Amino acid sequence: MDALPGSIAIRESQDLYSWILTSHVVSMCAFAGLVLMMDLRLLGIGNMRTPFSQVHRALFPWQIVFMTGSAITGLLLVYAEPLRFYSNFLFWIKVVLMLMASINALAFHRGTYLTIARWEAKPMPPFGARLAGAVGLTLWAGVVVAGRLIAYNWFTMP
Amino acid sequence: MTLLPYFEAMNDLPVSAAIRESLWVIAVINTMHLLFLVMFAGAVLLVDLRLLGRGAREQPLSDVARDAQPWLIAALIGLTLTGIPQFLSNALREYHSYLFWMKMAVLLVALTYTFTLRRYVTLADEARVGAATRRAAGLISIALWAAVVIQARLIGLFT
Repeated sequence: MDALPGSIAIRESQDLYSWILTSHVVSMCAFAGLVLMMDLRLLGIGNMRTPFSQVHRALFPWQIVFMTGSAITGLLLVYAEPLRFYSNFLFWIKVVLMLMASINALAFHRGTYLTIARWEAKPMPPFGARLAGAVGLTLWAGVVVAGRLIAYNWFTMP
Repeated sequence: MTLLPYFEAMNDLPVSAAIRESLWVIAVINTMHLLFLVMFAGAVLLVDLRLLGRGAREQPLSDVARDAQPWLIAALIGLTLTGIPQFLSNALREYHSYLFWMKMAVLLVALTYTFTLRRYVTLADEARVGAATRRAAGLISIALWAAVVIQARLIGLFT
């Protein structure tokens, strides 16, 4: 992949690389920020004037939009420097954390979320929902931290 | 009259040099700055989407804005506390960076706008402020804050 013309073109164009990286940061902030706002409601510590189902319905489509933006720009960044990411331990940590966060979101949608009609009217969501919120929050924060620290090229492998 | 001597003095502070010379301190500060930025982006966008009529529509706008306010303020305090050491450790580089001054100028406009006009529109009675005004208020907010974030990211890449 490292030898593909497109990969070399992005890597060697400072403007193109910078704009892809900046777009990645902007869409990531929007995505993670909206996930945080939803998880705060799920935890019962923020946005309490709005029921969880409404927060979820309003924000979920936008989370998908910004996640798609982050994913496309993220894949382009990996495409531009595949060998750099392949040998960076923090990159693989980030990938694993993203997978775990996705599984957590899926498990919540297939589990506690199905019974929302029963807890919708109560201000505080049930334990399962709060747990999913706390796990999601921690995992996505870990993704952001690992992603930021990739830049320092620490813990690189041969 | 130039600000250069002040920037040089800040750049030469012992704390600035200490941050500059320790790789992990600046890494931790940069990472925390980004986490607070995520919180800030969420708190702003939650309300801006509602201003655009795309957020939690069943809920009064002022309720959504009041809920978001403490997270917005907390994130701003966190961004300031982590931003100051970032600035100090690179004061001289920032002085010569066109993007740094642009970011600060737009940041000043964005902050003023957020705590005056945007605050008025979000807390006003929805019957008194038209949908078009709300939509414009949301779009201006998104444009201003996106400009701040883009310029901030580019400082690190082009200086």
